[in-house]
Amino acid sequence: MTLASAQPGDLVAEYQTGPIPREQLALYAEASGDSNPLHLDPAFAQKAGFGDVIVHGMLGMALLGRLLSTQFAAFTLTRFDARFIAVLPVGASLRCTATLAAATADGWTLALEAFDSSGKPIIVGTAAVKNPS
Amino acid sequence: MAIDRAHLGYALPPFTVEVTAARIALFLKAIGADDGPQDVAPPTFMKAVEGEQNSSRRILDALGVDLRRVLHAEQQFDYLGPIRAGDHLQVQRTVSDLYDKKNGAIDFIVIESTVSHAERGLLGRSRQVVLVRNAQPAAGSTS
Repeated sequence: MTLASAQPGDLVAEYQTGPIPREQLALYAEASGDSNPLHLDPAFAQKAGFGDVIVHGMLGMALLGRLLSTQFAAFTLTRFDARFIAVLPVGASLRCTATLAAATADGWTLALEAFDSSGKPIIVGTAAVKNPS
Repeated sequence: MAIDRAHLGYALPPFTVEVTAARIALFLKAIGADDGPQDVAPPTFMKAVEGEQNSSRRILDALGVDLRRVLHAEQQFDYLGPIRAGDHLQVQRTVSDLYDKKNGAIDFIVIESTVSHAERGLLGRSRQVVLVRNAQPAAGSTS
């Protein structure tokens, strides 16, 4: 579906990740510089009240952002925001969706959501895209 | 323990980040992007740029925050231009707001950052909200 023909509320893109393994958290820590042990050290995560290490919120946002990079590569992204609603344990997967929220004078606003396998929202956000100038 | 409001306005000294093609490639691999090498960085790469030199940890340390108690609550990026391989970028990070909820059980730290290029100007703005759990959360509660 193209954005130009979509109506507000239409699902315009979706993407299912595989399970997010421990190794990916280590790789993301190295690539992003976020070495908080909450994402790397199970003993530390347990002291913080979690059963095991948790996925970096920013890795979840990056996976949500894959929708934009892959499905809307022809557009210019002007804004991308996210709220981290719940933590995602290592080994879980995400289903990412983009719904058209509004067509504006200079582009489109997309409502973005990432759910775990039970359908619980993990991340909600928005993105604004426009035609390249 | 609540965060001292005297830290409002705390800023790290500005620092410079070199974006190499290898750096972008590593980030793409870490987020499972297998579209081949790219000259332009993906949307959330700005976080890796602003996070250089352990900057987030240094801000939290300066505010006396225990890492076991922090969660990333919100993140916002505004894009004014692409970040490309080969760029040398100037980063500024400032604690722009401090507030609490639930009678001080949760503190919020807002960190605003800018990423600029010497010739192309401001490329992006980032706004991060960090949540600090001051009281022990109830079982099963995450926020």
